[in-house]
Amino acid sequence: MSDIGSYSLLLALALSVYAFVAGFISLLFQNPVAALAGGRERAASDPSFSGLLRQNSERIGETARRAGIMVFAAVFVAAAALVIAAFSNDFSIAYIFHHSNRDLPAAYKFATLWSGQEGSLVFWALLLSGYGFVLRLRYKTDPRLFAYAGVVLAAVQVFFLALINFAANPFGLLQGPMRPDGTGLNPLLQYPEMVIHPPMLYLGYVGFTVPFAFALGALIMKYPGEKWIHITRRWTMVTWGFLTIGIFLGAHWAYSVLGWGGYWGWDPVENASLMPWLVGTAFLHSVMMQEKRGMLKVWNMWLVFAAFWLAILGTFLTRSGIISSVHAFAQSSIGDWFAYFLAITFAVFVYFFLKNKNHLHSEHKLESLMSRESSFLFNNLLFVLLCFTVLWGTWFPKISELVQGNKVTVGAPFYNRVAIPVALLLLILTAIGPLLAWRKTSFESLKRNFLWPTIGAVAVMVFLMITPAAWGSPFGLRPWLDISYFYSLMAIGLSVLVALTVASEFYRGGRVISEKTGQGMFASMVQLTHRNTRRYGGYIVHFGVVVVIIGLAGAAFNQDKEKEMAYGDKMEIGPYTLVCRSYTDEEFPNYAAEWAVLDVYKNGRQIDTLTPERRFYKASQQTSTMPFIRSTLNEDLYVVYEGLNQDTGHPILKAHLNPLVMWIWLGVWIIIGGTALALVPNAPAPMRMPSARTVESRANAAPVPTAGD
Amino acid sequence: MQHPCPPPGIKERTQGQPLEILGAASAVQPLKARHLDLMMTNQHRLRCLMHCGLLVFAVFALMGAGADPASRFHDIGHRMMCICGCNQILLECNHVGCPDSDGMRNELMAAVTRGDSDSLVEQAFVQKYGPTVLAAPTTQGFDRTAYIVPFVGLILGAGLVILVVRAWKNRPTPVLADGINPARGADLQKFREQARRETEL
Amino acid sequence: MTLGLACGLLLTLAAIYYIFSLPGKLYLGPEKTRASYLRERKDAVYENMRDLNFEYRAGKVPDADYQSLKASLQDEAAALLAEIARLEETAARKAKP
Repeated sequence: MSDIGSYSLLLALALSVYAFVAGFISLLFQNPVAALAGGRERAASDPSFSGLLRQNSERIGETARRAGIMVFAAVFVAAAALVIAAFSNDFSIAYIFHHSNRDLPAAYKFATLWSGQEGSLVFWALLLSGYGFVLRLRYKTDPRLFAYAGVVLAAVQVFFLALINFAANPFGLLQGPMRPDGTGLNPLLQYPEMVIHPPMLYLGYVGFTVPFAFALGALIMKYPGEKWIHITRRWTMVTWGFLTIGIFLGAHWAYSVLGWGGYWGWDPVENASLMPWLVGTAFLHSVMMQEKRGMLKVWNMWLVFAAFWLAILGTFLTRSGIISSVHAFAQSSIGDWFAYFLAITFAVFVYFFLKNKNHLHSEHKLESLMSRESSFLFNNLLFVLLCFTVLWGTWFPKISELVQGNKVTVGAPFYNRVAIPVALLLLILTAIGPLLAWRKTSFESLKRNFLWPTIGAVAVMVFLMITPAAWGSPFGLRPWLDISYFYSLMAIGLSVLVALTVASEFYRGGRVISEKTGQGMFASMVQLTHRNTRRYGGYIVHFGVVVVIIGLAGAAFNQDKEKEMAYGDKMEIGPYTLVCRSYTDEEFPNYAAEWAVLDVYKNGRQIDTLTPERRFYKASQQTSTMPFIRSTLNEDLYVVYEGLNQDTGHPILKAHLNPLVMWIWLGVWIIIGGTALALVPNAPAPMRMPSARTVESRANAAPVPTAGD
Repeated sequence: MQHPCPPPGIKERTQGQPLEILGAASAVQPLKARHLDLMMTNQHRLRCLMHCGLLVFAVFALMGAGADPASRFHDIGHRMMCICGCNQILLECNHVGCPDSDGMRNELMAAVTRGDSDSLVEQAFVQKYGPTVLAAPTTQGFDRTAYIVPFVGLILGAGLVILVVRAWKNRPTPVLADGINPARGADLQKFREQARRETEL
Repeated sequence: MTLGLACGLLLTLAAIYYIFSLPGKLYLGPEKTRASYLRERKDAVYENMRDLNFEYRAGKVPDADYQSLKASLQDEAAALLAEIARLEETAARKAKP
């Protein structure tokens, strides 16, 4: 297996080098006059070598495209070889020895592919060539633009494949005697979500290469018009969707496995995934400015580049060990490779930007500060600022070390203090932005659109403040008691505001269609959404985001309690009473487990039985906790089995009461739904014929602005 | 094989209780009443504002000191890191067999029960474990820049956006790019009408 | 070892065959002319106009705003339409003789 794998990786590198070089030559020698009448004949009569290249530039380009497609096949074979090696327990391969063992369940054996440094790079290359494969198959959309994008993509592929071949070969053989069993997969990773979290996150990271390739391609070729951004848009949305899923799966995994009762720790690796997400989100918004008004061309170019660059930077951070993190990837010299790659891409991008920046001139005028355009500008400012804050916080320990000679920790308290106010501003903008008209919005129109949602939001906030605290959180919210309560109240209030504005958008749009067609309100809203999936899908995403934010706001009311519990001992937390029924241990092939059995009472009635657990994995000699989480819409009861007190022999249990956490996961589903909806093509715009005969048919299909927001 | 994470002295502890500021509300009353009796000249208004500001500041400053030990333990414990290398907040460190978090929690509890002020506790921890024990940069010296820079960014960025919008607003005429001339005369009417017709609902 | 060698060889040969066995005529896509570029821009302006009409219908834009915004969009559309018409006329004149 290792032979096939190593060989296919080398072949993939050779093919990607060919795709890059041949593609480059083809574009370099592409006859600028060939496109005009008679140009091809004139080029054909040139007998020199460059003339020959010029004549055949298109054919060379086509071979480059095909080589790019074959890179996928080669990398696929390599990845398959690695997976097969894992399943066949081929511990002669060092990577398999270190990341698998005989008793590992099948799904985790599959996950071996991305659970270590070398394998995850192969996986990265596989996804990249997968994107490249799809891109090169779809070249008919715009062959010239796709040719440029293909060359950029090939360059990135060359980097990753060279890295794998020369610095991180996953098929390296184990030194020394043959071992009977591997050291196994890190137990923290032996959790179902870990099988899908890395692929999603990687799909997100890697996917930003595609918009970047298009952007750089369009910049190099001085693409006329804004069509390229229209083509890129869907790719960006897919990528963004994957990254979103990946990030939240990671959060959910941390919540369900790490056992500290939280889902986000502002660890450098988490931050690394958040940064491209923030910039990508900014881009998804500002792209509308370019499509609709031809504005922000330079800015968008930089945003696409930044999203890609930050995705690579994230990888660099996790692999180089330059910033300490709990995500302990093997630290090795490949950090240098990434550093050079980051420097080179930056230089290449800046070079072409400076060379062709005149092409990115925008011409439009803005009528007013109160307009959709300026709301997008502020939106971008806040997203980029959030990204900068995260970057700043991630690097501050290094900066501090350089300036004052000692490291400091930049943890959750810092981000809570700095990022939450900015995020709240962003939430205000989410509410206002969609209600502003393009070009200019009068105060009167703002009042008209904003009055009812504001009244609704204020009413909810007042309600939350005056209700008795005994109702459980988030009722009885007293913002003057603690800054976190204040933030929480603002977050919930603003979320309600956003939800109401979204609802009013659907209602107003639905009403227009309903008046036109006589359909019911719901059918009209469905039609409305289908006519402009991006806008209304986007609104649904906004709605999902505020549901997530309400869930995050619940963290202000978290409680926890810790107790050593003998048989029959009770622990009370919030409305729940936990009673220890028994505790025991058991052996399994892959691990040994100890757990407690707890009965849960609420209002004097038993409602559930929990079994928080702790496992000891034999192959890796590591322990991990399996918290038991009882999730409801109101709150999560989260119980961790911390271990036995050796003096008394009683288990120590820690219970967390985390209000509203389920809203986060619910919101994510809504976000995913909204993103998927935004990817659905718009229903075709109805034909507009002014003749009297078609009036009736027109009435049956009321037109809505198609595409774009 | 494993260790009990809570400090042996404490069998049960509750965290996350809201802080009650008793007496703060009643302190506002006499001050406010006295000022309302006076004629509200501008100067008075300013002084009143300053007083209110000071009062709010005092209330926030006292919040930490006046709280009960359990919530102070919780508060300070969430501002510190476990130093074993797990990169977790001290009170959230749950990793089994942690060599440090137990001792640190005990020290913290002892200090809080003694009635040491927040800054004293933090200083003591920094002395013992080094500055990385604090979960966030302090607000002194160079550390302050950690907090200042993002907000400076916000202000500069907002200023920049406003400048950009103003510049766009003041562009002379909506020029069409690529040498397209605005339509004139009969053409203008004809094409405007065509556009209207083709885009009406 | 032999199996590995055979697989590698097969993969390489398949790759080479696929890459270099090009069809006689390649798909190069439509040529991008100035007129097609202008039509793209016209479509964008039209979309903005429909958008505006719809928002006006939905009661989001007051009358005064609507009239002025509509006028400026129509001017823009008219300029583009005039330019497209001029290009098409020139092309037709060229094609005739």
